[in-house]
Amino acid sequence: MSLTRREMLGGLGVLGVAAAAGGGVSLAAAPAVAQTLGANETVETGLARVFGGRPMKDGAGLIKLDVPLIAENGAVVPVAVEVNSPMTPQSYVKSIYVVADRNRIPIVTRVALSPESGKAYMGANIRLGETGDVRAIVEQSDGSLWQIKREVKVTVGGCGG
Amino acid sequence: MSDIGKVRLRLPSTIKAGDVVQVRCLIIHPMERIERDKAGKVIDKKYNYITKVVVSYLGKTVSTFDTTQSVSENPYFAFTLKATDPGMVTVTFLDTLGGKYEGTAQIAFG
Repeated sequence: MSLTRREMLGGLGVLGVAAAAGGGVSLAAAPAVAQTLGANETVETGLARVFGGRPMKDGAGLIKLDVPLIAENGAVVPVAVEVNSPMTPQSYVKSIYVVADRNRIPIVTRVALSPESGKAYMGANIRLGETGDVRAIVEQSDGSLWQIKREVKVTVGGCGG
Repeated sequence: MSDIGKVRLRLPSTIKAGDVVQVRCLIIHPMERIERDKAGKVIDKKYNYITKVVVSYLGKTVSTFDTTQSVSENPYFAFTLKATDPGMVTVTFLDTLGGKYEGTAQIAFG
């Protein structure tokens, strides 16, 4: 199974290169953000692609990541992220990423916030395929990145496929 | 599933001017997962899932969720906004098949 998946990914990569080389600049830029987020990849390549290897600081004192210790049903796992940060036009939380390390599609969601949000908070129900870390990555308006992670034990996986 | 696209928005029962309110919303949507055939190969088709959730209040975009297939079926989202004036909160959901679903709630000061 892993062999076929490798082959498929390799094939996709070749296609992508061909499209880029074919002068299809507008084509290559066309895919919506969500499609580039929702790629079938490992968490390392996903993070490298989205953040381009920018340094991430430990946000333990800054970010509150609210996830269950044990998720009985991986199909519905409540996640809430709260960032202890001012939300003024000068300094605010630009976006919050939720990343599930062991999912086939590791980057779960990106939330873009604005000073009008009043508080840097987001909540969502996510899927978890298997036991693994869940990360919250916060991007401040000055471009700095902070991350925190927490392990969630999953009794029944929810990603299927 | 004729219920697809049903949106429910919940606001706190009392809101004072200047409060930071937490809004919760729920939408009925299948959020299809990747399917595989017997050989374990991903079936290539257009999966129907929500890619974007836009929250606007008083005509301004407050927050935007970019979502992937790792978000649960019938997704639930929560967010905050600063209630400065009475007005409508609109949450718009966009899915991969071009569907557009909207839910609104009125912010009024009690």
